[in-house]
Amino acid sequence: MKQFWLRFVRGLDNPIVVREGISRMRTWRAPLAITLYLGLLGAFGYAVFAVGVISSQISQTTQSATTLGAVTFDSMSVFELVLVLLFAPALAAGAISGERERQTFDSLLVSKVSAFGIVWGKLIASLAYILLLVVSAIPLFAFVLIFGSIEPDQILITQALIVVTAFTVGSVALFWSALYRRTLAATVSAYGSAFALYGLSAAVGYLLTYINNIRYQNASASLPPDLGIHPLVYGNPFTAFFTLLVPQGPTFGGSIHLGRLVQLLVLDGRPVSQWGPAITSWQLSLYTQGALALLCVFGAVMLVRGRRALPLRRVAVKGS
Amino acid sequence: MITITGLRKRFGHFQALDGVELTVPKGEIFGFVGPNGAGKTTTIRILATLTRADAGRAIVGGIPVGEDPAAVRALIGYMPDFFGVYDRLTSEEYLEFYAACHGVPRRRRRVVAKELLELVELGDRAKFQVDTLSRGQKQRLCLARALVHDPSVLLLDEPASGLDPRARVEMRELVKELSRMGKTILISSHILPELEELCTWVGFIDRGRMAAVGPMSQVRDRATTGRRLRVVLSSVDPEWLQQVAGQMTSIAGVVRAEVAGDHLEVAVGEHTEDHVLLAELVKAGLPVRAFAPIEGDLSEAFLSLTGDGQP
Repeated sequence: MKQFWLRFVRGLDNPIVVREGISRMRTWRAPLAITLYLGLLGAFGYAVFAVGVISSQISQTTQSATTLGAVTFDSMSVFELVLVLLFAPALAAGAISGERERQTFDSLLVSKVSAFGIVWGKLIASLAYILLLVVSAIPLFAFVLIFGSIEPDQILITQALIVVTAFTVGSVALFWSALYRRTLAATVSAYGSAFALYGLSAAVGYLLTYINNIRYQNASASLPPDLGIHPLVYGNPFTAFFTLLVPQGPTFGGSIHLGRLVQLLVLDGRPVSQWGPAITSWQLSLYTQGALALLCVFGAVMLVRGRRALPLRRVAVKGS
Repeated sequence: MITITGLRKRFGHFQALDGVELTVPKGEIFGFVGPNGAGKTTTIRILATLTRADAGRAIVGGIPVGEDPAAVRALIGYMPDFFGVYDRLTSEEYLEFYAACHGVPRRRRRVVAKELLELVELGDRAKFQVDTLSRGQKQRLCLARALVHDPSVLLLDEPASGLDPRARVEMRELVKELSRMGKTILISSHILPELEELCTWVGFIDRGRMAAVGPMSQVRDRATTGRRLRVVLSSVDPEWLQQVAGQMTSIAGVVRAEVAGDHLEVAVGEHTEDHVLLAELVKAGLPVRAFAPIEGDLSEAFLSLTGDGQP
């Protein structure tokens, strides 16, 4: 454990992080991307707020400022998650394959930097930029907070979910980057994986939920309150957002026991298990994404180590 | 300093190395010569711990490459045949980055970068972004990069490829300077006259096998059997020269004589004394204007030892 923390601390003092930081921030793309990001987020937040005001004027109903603020915050949080899902693969997918394309990878491999150091440095460098985007958006969220109704823990957890999602998507992209020699292939795979993880899995989860519901209705059984939620949906960060931001929602409120989650995963609905700790949607999302991210980092480290000690045969170069 | 025995490497159906054996003594400049696909880069990559051999043994500074690659990496400075540079970094930052990667303490990094930039004559380019440097300057910067951790062995894979004549001369002088600093240098190149001037040892590789290895003069002499002399006579008439060449074979010590343009090339026996032969030629009434031994060159030796291989 001590070794792990030593590595972690050393990982933060990583020359690759410093170099990437210098290189990235010297280009005009860095401020442009931040401007674009904040512009899109701000415009979206303003649009939601404006639509809320106009609709209450048209329908001549009185929508309280707190409700309007909450709706704007919720929408902006989800929109920020979508933006992070779009930005993170692009930032991380070229991290290692780009080194090969630039023909700088061999120089790194013959240095003292470990395979873990290379992967960790690349990941931290990519995420540091995402973190910069998230932090730079805080004033926009602060503007919404003046309407009240949003609790501090809601803000913290939504931001944690966004950062963990970025970490996961970045790790997946980094894995592809370590596997493929070409950044294009790594980028396509990274976006494909992000779509499968956050979009397709939810769609499959909803389908399985539907099938489960049908089965129960046919059996004329009384429906347990959490029956409709397959873990593929329950662990999705978008679902986690809804449970956080609409905690009194009819479907997603509360928590589900671990045993019940396993039951639902294998489509075995009865009797309702109460085994294990109760897990909320955002917790499940954080745990599963964290585990996936660590798995991808491990895979990327193994691939980079392989390039050094046991290179793939296709690495043979001119003059061989 | 470098010992390779029975090194084998296969890529699919292609046998890249087929029992390579070579030795590079400490402090020598070793010229590694061979045609494209002969196995030079694969051998260098194995020494650089980037490729694992299928069989055989490579030892650098007494450390087997396959057993302790990390220790070998600390000993070697590697300059690949193709290399890239990072955009948007200055030359100084570029070297500081690699110094950090090689574990040079933080307080020493800038000093090391400055010293190396001076060594490769890029001191005035310290604050220039790397992508604005010329190819020759980038090559020198890459060589400086290989030196950031003060390695005792340098593996230079085609360091002069793609350089103009002036940049090649600068690179050659730099390698000589590094040799004076006590580095053991293994250098592969296609430009044989340059290697001939630069290297103290040479190894010819062809189709994954070593055709010859040893001190430069020894390999050259082994390849060019017998000694040859260049004899210039007062007339350059080809017919007369041909006639004289025919007569010369009757002189003691002359093995063969051929017309080579406006002069004769005379192959002589191993024990023939030059001054005795000159006296014989004059005694035979030949109007000798110039008489000098012909030094065998590396290209000739290479062709002789590798058959039809083209470097």
